[in-house]
Amino acid sequence: MTEATPLRLSAEGITKTYGAFAALTDVTFELRAGEVMALLGENGAGKSTIVKILSGLVAADAGTVTIDGEPVTLTGVASSQAAGIAVVQQEYSTVRTMTVAENLFLGQRSAPWWWRPGRLVARSKAVLARVGLQDLDPRTRVEQLTVAEMQLLEIARVLARDARIIVFDEPTAALSDAEIVRVLEAARRLASEGRSIVYVTHRLGEVFEIADRVTIFRNGRSSAPLEVADLDVDGVVARMIGRELGDLYPPRSSGLGDVALEARGLVAPGFRAPVDLVVRRGEVLGITGQLGSGTTELIEALASLRPVIDGSLHVGGREVTLRNRRAGIAAGIAYCSADRKRDGIFPGASIRQNLSSPWVSTVARAGFIRSGHEGTATRTLAEEFAVDTTRLGTRVGSLSGGNQQKVAVGKWSGTQPDVLLVEEPTRGVDVGARADMYATLRALADSGMAVVVSSSDTNEVLGLSDTVATFYHGRPTAVRPATEWTEHDLVREVMHREEVLT
Amino acid sequence: MTTTAPPETTGPVAPRGGTDTWRGKSARTVADYAMPLLTVLVLLVASLTTDGFAETANFRAILISTAITGIAAVGMTAITLTGNLFSLGVGSTVVLSGILFLAVAGATGSVLLAVLAALGASLVLGLAQAVIVGAGLNPVITTLAFGAIIYGCVAVGTGGEVVTAGSVPVTWLATTSVLGLPLPVVIFVVLTALVSVLSARTVVGRRLRLLGDNRATAVTSGISAMTGTVVAFASLSVGAAIAGILSAAQLRQMQANDLPNLTLDVIAAVLVGGAAINGGEASAVRTALGALLIVILGNVMLLQGLSPGERLFGVGAVVVVLVVLLHLLRKAGTR
Repeated sequence: MTEATPLRLSAEGITKTYGAFAALTDVTFELRAGEVMALLGENGAGKSTIVKILSGLVAADAGTVTIDGEPVTLTGVASSQAAGIAVVQQEYSTVRTMTVAENLFLGQRSAPWWWRPGRLVARSKAVLARVGLQDLDPRTRVEQLTVAEMQLLEIARVLARDARIIVFDEPTAALSDAEIVRVLEAARRLASEGRSIVYVTHRLGEVFEIADRVTIFRNGRSSAPLEVADLDVDGVVARMIGRELGDLYPPRSSGLGDVALEARGLVAPGFRAPVDLVVRRGEVLGITGQLGSGTTELIEALASLRPVIDGSLHVGGREVTLRNRRAGIAAGIAYCSADRKRDGIFPGASIRQNLSSPWVSTVARAGFIRSGHEGTATRTLAEEFAVDTTRLGTRVGSLSGGNQQKVAVGKWSGTQPDVLLVEEPTRGVDVGARADMYATLRALADSGMAVVVSSSDTNEVLGLSDTVATFYHGRPTAVRPATEWTEHDLVREVMHREEVLT
Repeated sequence: MTTTAPPETTGPVAPRGGTDTWRGKSARTVADYAMPLLTVLVLLVASLTTDGFAETANFRAILISTAITGIAAVGMTAITLTGNLFSLGVGSTVVLSGILFLAVAGATGSVLLAVLAALGASLVLGLAQAVIVGAGLNPVITTLAFGAIIYGCVAVGTGGEVVTAGSVPVTWLATTSVLGLPLPVVIFVVLTALVSVLSARTVVGRRLRLLGDNRATAVTSGISAMTGTVVAFASLSVGAAIAGILSAAQLRQMQANDLPNLTLDVIAAVLVGGAAINGGEASAVRTALGALLIVILGNVMLLQGLSPGERLFGVGAVVVVLVVLLHLLRKAGTR
């Protein structure tokens, strides 16, 4: 604490564990008045946990937080707001059917219970101007705004609260370049007003553009704050990576078979360029990119959940046109989404019924399920996927995240698809179960499937895949065998594409 | 409710909810047997305290009445199972089927034609609702509107008059005894068994259940929400038509304002039978028992000399208490 500038916020010895998993270990974090502090780190490094602690959503197990010299206890969202901390969330918390002005003052403690609409509009204009939305009519309904305008409105809402510390949680993930500029400008303007900004991002370019200092998280520990002026991209990347590939990943494919999936000039809503893709039997193709890079859109188009506008798709040598998910399944394309709770599992049904759900008609005669056949087939699947065969009657909703994921992926094995698409295979899955998941995906590839894994975890993509394809801003940017990538290159490619191009 | 999953613990190592706890198990056991036990209890108490309850004629009346409510309720079970909540148009569909049955029987003299006419009309109306609900409209609103339309058409069509089958004999449908039981009761038991077996053992039944458990997963797994909804509404249509025919045969006459509390009784039977309101869990057998309980309660209150208002109050109170109890027990059971 020898700096001339007084510290706005200082957090020391912050520790948070979930069960046996240490999300944060003895983390130190500081913030000066009027600075933009970037927060960097890989998925699971602890960024989001510290943001949750600052916003009062999660209580730290140990550690102290001091704001402007006063110790504060952050026990809930209200106490965090009272301490002058405001968080601009990734998910928009605006009410779509209300006007911009109404949203600005919604849920504010200082707001009186009745506002004249005219006064509301006048007050909003001043706040909107501060985030660069001076041309927006405050009487517009929020549902008519663009994504960038919604993000700026989200920031304006925080401003109306008059916070000293503003946390931006990946504010530009869903925005285009031109829109990003507006958000960055707003952040910079706030800092110049003397507020302290915590800027969480995955994009290195933004860090160098607006941040004064950066704190890098790795494996739940934080680095000392570094001056951005003293750093370059390689220096940042080197400080971020560092997880060992270790024994987590199974050996790569010994030999690839014929082409199972071939896309030529594929165009779907959300792409900014046509995509060509070839996946062979026995191959695990890893697709990686940030949110908004086009990986989700590609997988959804291949899974026939998103209309294909142009281009051709061949599965096992046959050209297919897929109208809906059922047609996709029939064509031999299985799909597991990133959100298994939403559309991957039947929580109230047993493991057995979950596993057999896509192919139960194949063990039926005259419409009646032959329970013996179903039992045998599901037991085989369960053994293959390391699911406890003595508990096949258990409700899937009561299983751990890792076991739920095994069920959500394993059920497709029974349809013997040509292609298996998996998004974020280990999200919410603990470390021990991850290795199982990787072994499972590899085993499926070895059995003759083409496996396409989309993941935002570069370590995982590199460790698991035979081939890695990267996406940036709706475009495919590079496809190379995994052995030709280093994690450093891959992180750099995904997070900072422009630097690589120039 | 089935959709409120417990918050996920991100902690590794200890797999959550690995084995069912003793408390969870016992809570589920109580939930499973609460309703049948209550039915037996009500039967015993009523037999001991209510004059005229434990008489053969009264039991016969209870059984026929249960059959009519129960057949419609067993049909409704499929709708609840698929996550489509309830049909609020079931009462008017039953009345329409009954009136159509009487009118066609009176006009043609053929009971078979009359039965087919009632079934056909009910199915067409059910499928129309299924297509709308399957396309994504709220089932409660859709069926409420259809119920109003059907009631309106019947009221206008009959001019508010009582409809009979004239001289054509139809009463035998309700009074014939098979193996000592009235025909409606036999139909009820057979239908319950049939729906029970079909929903537990067939691919279609399995898909209905999965659809109700998680519609989004069903769609990504290649299960058609539209097909499931159509099957469920068809099941209710058949149930409502048969209930209407038997009711009309028993009464020998019908008018638009008949059976005003039937919709409530049918939904009460499904709920008391322990169906999960959001879908994914429902059993025809338990719904049938639920119908029995509801009818016995009504019967006891009638014999005790309570007014229609008081009887309605009683049925409502029992539904609320049982549904809350079952919900709490089920929540304890999934922990």
